[in-house]
Amino acid sequence: MGTTYHQLRKLPKVHRPDTIASGILEPFQPWRNCVLQVLRMRFFTATVLGLLAPSLCAATNLTTPSRLDLPSGFKPPQVFKNTNLVRNTNLEKSYVRETINVVVENIDKQPHNDYYIPFPAEVFDRVAGFEVRDKKALEKGRFDVDYTEAVSSDGNQYFVIHLPEPLAPKSQITLGISYSVLSSLSPLPATIGQADKQYLTYSFSAYMPSAYTTNTQKTKLKFPSTNVPDYTTTDGLKSGSDPERKGATYTYGPYDTAKVAPGTQHPITVRYEFTKPVISISLLERDLEVSHWGGNLATEERYWLRNNGSELTKQFSRVEWTFTNYQQAPTSAVRELTYPLLPGSVDPYFIDDIGNVSTSRYRPSIGRSAGSLELKPRYPIFGGWNYSFRIGWNNDLASFLRRAAGVNSDSYVLKAPLIEGPKMAEGIQYERVVVRVVLPEGAHNVRFEILEGTNSNGLPGVNHIHAHLSSLKTYMDTLGRTILTLEVDSLTDEARDSKFVVTYDYSMLDALRKPLTIFAGMLTVFVAAWGIGKIDISIKKR
Amino acid sequence: MSLNAVWEAASATPFTPLIDKDSQFSVGFNLLLLALVTATLFGLNQSFLGIASLGFPAALAFGFGAVFMICAAGVYV
Repeated sequence: MGTTYHQLRKLPKVHRPDTIASGILEPFQPWRNCVLQVLRMRFFTATVLGLLAPSLCAATNLTTPSRLDLPSGFKPPQVFKNTNLVRNTNLEKSYVRETINVVVENIDKQPHNDYYIPFPAEVFDRVAGFEVRDKKALEKGRFDVDYTEAVSSDGNQYFVIHLPEPLAPKSQITLGISYSVLSSLSPLPATIGQADKQYLTYSFSAYMPSAYTTNTQKTKLKFPSTNVPDYTTTDGLKSGSDPERKGATYTYGPYDTAKVAPGTQHPITVRYEFTKPVISISLLERDLEVSHWGGNLATEERYWLRNNGSELTKQFSRVEWTFTNYQQAPTSAVRELTYPLLPGSVDPYFIDDIGNVSTSRYRPSIGRSAGSLELKPRYPIFGGWNYSFRIGWNNDLASFLRRAAGVNSDSYVLKAPLIEGPKMAEGIQYERVVVRVVLPEGAHNVRFEILEGTNSNGLPGVNHIHAHLSSLKTYMDTLGRTILTLEVDSLTDEARDSKFVVTYDYSMLDALRKPLTIFAGMLTVFVAAWGIGKIDISIKKR
Repeated sequence: MSLNAVWEAASATPFTPLIDKDSQFSVGFNLLLLALVTATLFGLNQSFLGIASLGFPAALAFGFGAVFMICAAGVYV
């Protein structure tokens, strides 16, 4: 590449709304908490079993995302040319999903393997699930991608794609690039009546922002319906009408852009009907708690939800809402969230800031089919409104945990969904997701892996997931439970089916720590009672 | 070896809890009852021999009984 750069460590921002306190065990009643508080066994930590404590730190593959710091005035070397580029923009959901197929040719005399994709700095952090594969060999998996800091001269940030093998001069490769862009749709009009239709606008450039010259390119837009009242028509970019319309699909191009400089913009704006909520989760905290004694995997999720759609022009009318709801008419408000749960899920609960929300329904799974948790918030969530809540349920641990193969192995393997979340036709975007895997007390040598398939799992590369270990002291703990925390910024509900695997070591001695600690405490009480009883406190002449 | 391969290789050894979820309450209750009885007997006659014959089993039963009972109450430790 010829340009030197330094790695700059950038930790993700920590944002934590304080409307709901965290803690997986909090839904239980206060009286139970009082009883259980007594059972906290912290006071024997140092004296009784401190010597048995294993090291927590033996985890070996934890990651901290980093970004490349490019020098000011940096421009990607012009060693590639895009022979043909097709961009598919899907606007059917409440976020923008783009899939780009581009034929890249090396026009230099040396082989190269770093391909740059620019984004404006204000958009870069809203790009979710960025993934690049060889379109002709999807099964080979995603390519390694580095993120850069903003370049001060042009305000761009780059995804640097590392091709697995350097592309030889005059050779071509077809890249399949997919990603979503969060919060890029804005409602117009910004305020509407309660039963009015909602319209969203989306602005983009007819010329795909690229670091390299592109010979031909076109953009296909897929709208949720044929109701597209406003869209930009171009003049002089191509012969014939532009865009070409076919049902709900509009095609801009193809354009001959061989002589157009890279980075040239031609703004396009479209406005289309989207009478559905624009659901955005500013923060999702998800806890998975593994209990070997209880044979249970407890899941709790805490959501901070907001509807980014058009706000209401007037006051909310309960009568009008009841009328609309009775007709099941399309609405821009969140009426209900449908949450599929894995087979075997039991004991679901749905709590918000006030307390238990009774307007929910759970349809348990029958056989191997998924269960369905239907959540109705206390009020419909219109544009600009917020709602924070938490849900939780239990599963048998046997479906998620296995003892690693080997004679008398103390290693366990846990495989569970990284993100579940409601399944909505209009899609859901997550600004920040924090997944905590609460392992049993004493678990050590923790490793994790995100599963990859032949298709995108909706997640960034594993190097861009911030992972760290900590410990949590809660009921009956002496040392504290080992927690693996995985933090991801900018996700969509496409990551619903993603799974992770965690392995950890957990010996018999670790498992017996809780009962033996209580045993030691009780035995101490008995010995103390016997010893105190032996003290002669009678009043007599000595 | 990827961790997913470790998962696949372990398909023959699924995790089985020591006590099934349905039996946690009965096991926990009986152990706590045993602990109560033996602790009471020890309280009636406190002696060093009593610690070994009554206090030790009482403490052991209370330790395991408490763990199973808290699980039966829905707090999976």
